[in-house]
Amino acid sequence: MPWYLYLALRQLFPAGRRFPFFTAISVLGVALGVGVLIIVTSVMGGFGHEIRRMIVRTEGEIQVKAKGLIEDPAAVLAAIRGAPGVVGASPFVEGPVAALAANRPAFPLLRGIDPVSVGSVAELGRYVRAGSLDELDDDSVILSWQVAEQLGAGLGSSVELYSPLLFERLKQDEVILPRRFRVVGLFEIGHQHLDSSLAFTTLRAAQELYGLGRSVHGINVRLAPGRDEVAALPAVNRVLPPGIEALPWTRKWESFLWVLNLEKTITAFLLLFIVVIAAFSVMSSLLISVVRKTREIGLLGALGASRRGVALCFCAQAFLIGVTGTLLGLAGGFTVLAWRNELVRLIARGLGREETLRQFYHFTDLPAHTLPADLILTVVAAVVISTLAGLLPAWRASRLKPVEALRSE
Amino acid sequence: MSELILEAGAVAKTFGIGPARIPVLRAVDLALAAGESLAIRGESGSGKSTLLHLLAGLDVPDAGWIRWGASAPDPARRSRYLGLVFQSFHLVPELDALGNVLLAARMLGAPDVATRQRAEALLGQVGLAGRARHLPAQLSGGERQRVAVARALINRPRLLLADEPTGNLDEHTGEAVIDLLVGLCAATGTALVLVTHNAAHAARCRSTRTLHEGVLH
Repeated sequence: MPWYLYLALRQLFPAGRRFPFFTAISVLGVALGVGVLIIVTSVMGGFGHEIRRMIVRTEGEIQVKAKGLIEDPAAVLAAIRGAPGVVGASPFVEGPVAALAANRPAFPLLRGIDPVSVGSVAELGRYVRAGSLDELDDDSVILSWQVAEQLGAGLGSSVELYSPLLFERLKQDEVILPRRFRVVGLFEIGHQHLDSSLAFTTLRAAQELYGLGRSVHGINVRLAPGRDEVAALPAVNRVLPPGIEALPWTRKWESFLWVLNLEKTITAFLLLFIVVIAAFSVMSSLLISVVRKTREIGLLGALGASRRGVALCFCAQAFLIGVTGTLLGLAGGFTVLAWRNELVRLIARGLGREETLRQFYHFTDLPAHTLPADLILTVVAAVVISTLAGLLPAWRASRLKPVEALRSE
Repeated sequence: MSELILEAGAVAKTFGIGPARIPVLRAVDLALAAGESLAIRGESGSGKSTLLHLLAGLDVPDAGWIRWGASAPDPARRSRYLGLVFQSFHLVPELDALGNVLLAARMLGAPDVATRQRAEALLGQVGLAGRARHLPAQLSGGERQRVAVARALINRPRLLLADEPTGNLDEHTGEAVIDLLVGLCAATGTALVLVTHNAAHAARCRSTRTLHEGVLH
């Protein structure tokens, strides 16, 4: 081990002596920053992960779409089901409708699903809170909880749906009659975007509403567990006829995912300032150390240490503070994450807000998902910033002339 | 004649700025062969420590020249060529006695088993065999200076420069430290320059010179 690293280690963690106070403060500062960063990025990543799971559970990993309509869905479905990695495919029709129940309007996005094949792609049943997916037929709908609330509808209620096609016919002075549907289920996915404006009916009913005949708007595709959608995409695209394309779920949700990622990045950036402030603490404690240890620095020069060696000794101290603080921060952060649900419940119970938490956040467990990239970025940023904080003290120490440093009082 | 370890010719050093410049050393000449010992005496402020710093290459003379053997002082060679003992010991408080001795060896690279054994042997020679794991704060002044002596000798230097090594010690302890310095240098063939006020200590060296008004007599 080079002398400067050995001495840096000894000065930070002296054998048989108390842990130096300034070092402890600096290490704790870095640890706090890293811990908070890991907790926040993991929880935000957890929400993102949960949203991804919800989307994939309701739409599959891949969506097959044509520029217009898929006119022969049976042939395309057969081709897709034969593609490697595909475990399920189900056609859908999707579009906005005007809904009316007891003179209360709502404008949900109606998705027509094939009750036979939808189970191979989506796990809609898991989100039905009242009623049953099995009762869905050509004369019934399943509404999201929020749409049902807007309409004042419940299980067994009657809902009238107007499709844009009906309005188109109105222009031609045709008499239009809305389709009447019975509510056979209420669902709640837990994702605001999906819950606020979604309704399900059968594929056939939706095809009728939009006058599509046998055509569909798209096909949702489910991949085998563990298969990456981007990697599986070329294989699916190869079996598709011209004019029809397979896209990953991330493409449809690109803007939403971008915003989600931006939120996380901005939060992480702001929280990184805790590490920056900790780095100033590292810098000031090392600058104090340069002043306190002037004669020792002179001694090192007298013993033959080069200026570079002296500088490296202080940089190494900053680096070691960064590494120690980061390790402590990771340990603390992951400990908090491991106990996060207990902590949240404790806080909610303390504030008497357990029910509010359940009502508004739709979760009983706080999700957490640490992405390796976030972890690596946090560790690298903390260690690099801490090490950079050692540059000024290192420069000042290296500028000391041994003969003057040895004479200093 | 033995190999010359240290030579200095017409060395001059002045401190201060402008008209307030004070010449501390005017024209110092000296030469020291292997195994020789030289005591430099002088009043306080006579420039003894300044001369020692120049000889150690820690400072540069305004005029004259200094040679370590055949070449000019070189900081890169310092840890191998010379050992330094200071009045204030200058031990690293975070390192134990053995760690302080080995610190000088570490300047030349990671110490191997032989170097560690040599450091322990040196601590034994200075009477601190049982205190190797003690921190400087747990040692007396005399013990600290003995650690400093061991540290100065760990790299088998050709030259040992000691600046008032007994200045902070009582008479008895000072005697013991001088015994060590002179004895170890004689045993290892290391040339010794001892800066001291103490006539008795100076007498232990082969030759004594006095620094007066910037000239070494």
